[in-house]
Amino acid sequence: MAKSLKSWLKTITFYEILVGMKATLKHLLHYKPITLQYPHEKRTLPDSYRGMLALLRYDDGTEKCVGCDLCEAACPSRVIKVVSAEVPGEPTKRYAKEYYMDMTRCLFCGLCVDACPVDALGMTREYEWAVYDKRQLYLNKQQLLAIGDRSFPVREKKLELQHLNVAFFNVAFKHLPPKEG
Amino acid sequence: MVKLTIDGVPITAPKGTLVIEAARQAGIMIPHFCYHPKLKWDANCRMCLVEIERVPKLQTSCSTPVAEGMVVRTATTAVTQAHKSVLEFILANHPLDCPVCDQGGRCDLQDFSHEYTPTTSRFIEVKRIFPKEYFSALIETQMNRCVQCLRCVRYCDEVMDVKALAPAGRGTMTEIKHFTHHELDCEFCGGCVQICPVGAITSRLSMYEYRPWMLKRADTICTYCGDGCQITIQTKENKLIEVNTAHGAGRNNGDLCARGFFGYHASTHPDRLQHPLVRRNGELVQATWEEALGFVAETCIRLKMEHGAEAFAGLIASRCTNEDLYVFQKFMRLAIGTNRIDSSARYGQINGVRALRRVQGTHRWAVTFEDIVAADALLLVGTNITETNPITGLKVKEAVKKRTATLLTVDALVPAVGTISNIANLAAHHFPVHPDRFGHVVLGLIKAVVEDGLVDQALAHRAPAYVQAIGDAVQALSWPALESATGTTSGALREAARIFARAARGVVLVGQGVLRSPGGYGLTTNLLDLLLLTGQHGRPGCGLAPLAEENNDQGAVEMGTVAEYLPGPCDLNDPTARERIAGLWKEELPKGPGRTLTETLEEARTGKVKAMFVVGENPVGSLPHAARAKDALAQLELLVCQELFLTETAALAHVVLPACSYAEKDGSFTNTEGLVQPVRRAIEPIGESRPDWEILSALSVLMGYPIEYGDAKEILKEIRSLIPGYGLLGAGPNPPRPDEAVVSRYLREGYAEDLANRYAATQPTEKRTGHFTLLVTQSLFHSGKFSTRSTGLLEIQNTGVLGLNPADAARLGVTDGDRVRVSNTLGELTAPIKLLERIPEGLAVFPEHFDEEARRLLGVSTDPQTRVPYCKSAQVVIEKL
Ligand code: SF4
Ligand code: SF4
Ligand code: SF4
Ligand code: SF4
Ligand code: SF4
Ligand code: FES
Repeated sequence: MAKSLKSWLKTITFYEILVGMKATLKHLLHYKPITLQYPHEKRTLPDSYRGMLALLRYDDGTEKCVGCDLCEAACPSRVIKVVSAEVPGEPTKRYAKEYYMDMTRCLFCGLCVDACPVDALGMTREYEWAVYDKRQLYLNKQQLLAIGDRSFPVREKKLELQHLNVAFFNVAFKHLPPKEG
Repeated sequence: MVKLTIDGVPITAPKGTLVIEAARQAGIMIPHFCYHPKLKWDANCRMCLVEIERVPKLQTSCSTPVAEGMVVRTATTAVTQAHKSVLEFILANHPLDCPVCDQGGRCDLQDFSHEYTPTTSRFIEVKRIFPKEYFSALIETQMNRCVQCLRCVRYCDEVMDVKALAPAGRGTMTEIKHFTHHELDCEFCGGCVQICPVGAITSRLSMYEYRPWMLKRADTICTYCGDGCQITIQTKENKLIEVNTAHGAGRNNGDLCARGFFGYHASTHPDRLQHPLVRRNGELVQATWEEALGFVAETCIRLKMEHGAEAFAGLIASRCTNEDLYVFQKFMRLAIGTNRIDSSARYGQINGVRALRRVQGTHRWAVTFEDIVAADALLLVGTNITETNPITGLKVKEAVKKRTATLLTVDALVPAVGTISNIANLAAHHFPVHPDRFGHVVLGLIKAVVEDGLVDQALAHRAPAYVQAIGDAVQALSWPALESATGTTSGALREAARIFARAARGVVLVGQGVLRSPGGYGLTTNLLDLLLLTGQHGRPGCGLAPLAEENNDQGAVEMGTVAEYLPGPCDLNDPTARERIAGLWKEELPKGPGRTLTETLEEARTGKVKAMFVVGENPVGSLPHAARAKDALAQLELLVCQELFLTETAALAHVVLPACSYAEKDGSFTNTEGLVQPVRRAIEPIGESRPDWEILSALSVLMGYPIEYGDAKEILKEIRSLIPGYGLLGAGPNPPRPDEAVVSRYLREGYAEDLANRYAATQPTEKRTGHFTLLVTQSLFHSGKFSTRSTGLLEIQNTGVLGLNPADAARLGVTDGDRVRVSNTLGELTAPIKLLERIPEGLAVFPEHFDEEARRLLGVSTDPQTRVPYCKSAQVVIEKL
């Protein structure tokens, strides 16, 4: 008898449901929001944050990238396209004539940054890259350098004697064959 | 055979094999820099050290031949330690250039460093730095990266015989240099680029355009000469990046010439025709394929109704694939209904083929490149082989330099050291004669054979009448007359004849100087007589080898795109062949006659021929002005050209259809030794261009005689049904044996018909003083006009420069670079000159690739038997400007 009365009471007071909703009810009563009111509020980023990619320069303003294509090879989602060439007027010196990143595909894995032999790539803390037209995420060299310029104001010092073969070049090239054709 | 053990693996290798090779064959790779199977060992890099039981110290496996019972270990602690020290030593001076080095990704030093070094070095000294010097427009050096293995130097000397490179300096300061203060001037074979194990010598043409892993490869065949080298075209995003070839691949076995290595950009020249062009109101304007083909088909049907099929003629370049050639002749024979077909094999190759068919019943060489290498005596007649067929030339060089064969050469050029190699330098006997007197030397050789009792006894029994007849013919020639014509002594001729007759294996190579010059057919036949008389004919490894100039000259003959042959080649009038082919085609063959190039042009001029299909051929740009090809073609009511570029001939056309170059299509080429090799597509067709056979096939459908195929393979299959076994892949060519029945017939009666002509030492026209013989010849750096669209080759040679002997130049008061006027009654031209010691006095040599002006000066004569137009030389006066 007593047993059935207890169960009858539980039924009419929806006791089981209350037990199930205990957590919900607790939150309802002690409300403390964890959602950040972005864009009014922003998170502090951890030091190892991997954000927008950028191309870097040396302290004298020259591009660090030597156009070696290794970032292109390292990238798992084929974001990068490097078109390397000889620096005009500096025979046998290599640079990236064109450099593209298709950021719509980037995983922000940082493998390209690891691959770069001259530390010419950096990951900035920029993440606000929403655009209306995703074609705007296809970035060229100038855009990537500009990102680097604004994110890394302190630049690495250019090594002395870095381009010795040019310094020692003793005969001017008369006519270089055009590269296309 | 020697038995030994390498790393516990029992191996048997032939005596004399080097340990490194034996290991490689057993699948054990011993790291090495200076060793290369092509070169004599040098053992200078010490990378290949191995431990050999019972030998106290480590040994260089690249210089140690295998010995019975040898026990070799390649991976012991001592060996690994040695690898480490050698690499540490090399890396002490090696720059950290990998990111900017074109070799990165396929560099032996990179690979070995990954595998064998500790990642640190004990050297803290400043690295060696060489001043960078300008090297050349096509080949780039970075001597800081050199590991001083001297492979490049040895290759250039041992294989190429050019000797353009040398080490300078000592120890670590050794640097590879070329000899002059100017930029590198050599054969530009690219061999040093390919053989350098590191990135010290690279190609400037593809510099920084690629990383090895980005490249797509297509193994195909070079289009620039009859040697048929296998090349690997490497492309990136449908762009041609570079060409190379692998040791062990193809007939060239890893060697190339400048045309093959640097000439690949011609296919993607911006002037390539991308759309069909149709003439409207006198102008060629762009049209769609439908319009252009529709117009051609309509006009053809109309002209055929009005004038009949015999008013049509066709001309095709032997640069096309066998498939193109085959479909072309089938189209002309069935869809049009005429046998008036010819190809550029008419310019010379046909002389060789006709002579071979006449005497030995084969249309191909009875020898192979291997036989050239293995020959004991080689006779080269009228061929500057280095420049026309460079890789066959390398086989000759290999025979002479490595296998000590005796080389006899008959050519206009004289031995002299120059910037490119000169085969005459290697000759035991060289007969430098005026180009119209090669025949006299050959007659002298035959006379010596007869007089000195060198006639093969077996032949004397078999065909006494033949031997007698030739004996009588040469007896009638007098030694003094021959000596004065050839400028040599009877003693030298006798000596050469003796060497050739006594050789265990003799091979005769005959080149453009004979095949493309008056009397070429007769002289080629005489050379076969020489082989027969000396018993060098019919023996394995002996025979005559006419050198094809264009990559598919041989295929053009075998596909029946010449006036006298059906596919096979079978004679056009051979009833059994006609029946068989008609049966396979299920169509009657046209009855009309074949017409050769010059005859066709003549018929066009007289209005007998009203319409012509010209595929890749450019008679207006190839024949001298005297042939009046332009006038002839201008008479036509319909001229259809399938071309890559708007050539002189295409500019006259009513319709120009854009065709694919060899890099854009599949098919096969047949090289000079008769090997059918696959051509593979490397890039997508440029613009709207299509392979030639596809265009013809589409036309045939519009004309109501469909000749349709799914792809090039299907065509080859059909070719195989006509010519059993054609193009089946094999290790190498399987040369035909001379047909004994044909040889017997020739010995019985075939020789007689033109014997008197062939054995008449026509007194060569005495040269008037002050006159030069102008020779328009092929240069090493170009091939026809196609290569003059290639950026790389234009860097080496981009204008017509007249080559002169220094003594002649001194007499004229001119020197290198001065301009001269060259003239005769037909016209004149001015050109800068270059002094070349290999050119004899009285001769002036001009490259045919830049001959717009020079062609004015040339006359044409036609061979009475083979109708080959001879138009490569003229008598001229040269004056200082
Ligand atoms: S890895 Fe670095 S140096 Fe190389 S191409 Fe990429 S960014 Fe440039
Ligand atoms: S030669 Fe090889 S190791 Fe040296 S820089 Fe070039 S890729 Fe690197
Ligand atoms: S390219 Fe010139 S230097 Fe190099 S191997 Fe050939 S001939 Fe010699
Ligand atoms: S340039 Fe290359 S092939 Fe020549 S010695 Fe140096 S490393 Fe060897
Ligand atoms: S032109 Fe001739 S020799 Fe030179 S690479 Fe081509 S096929 Fe070989
Ligand atoms: S490969 Fe043997 S010493 Fe260089």
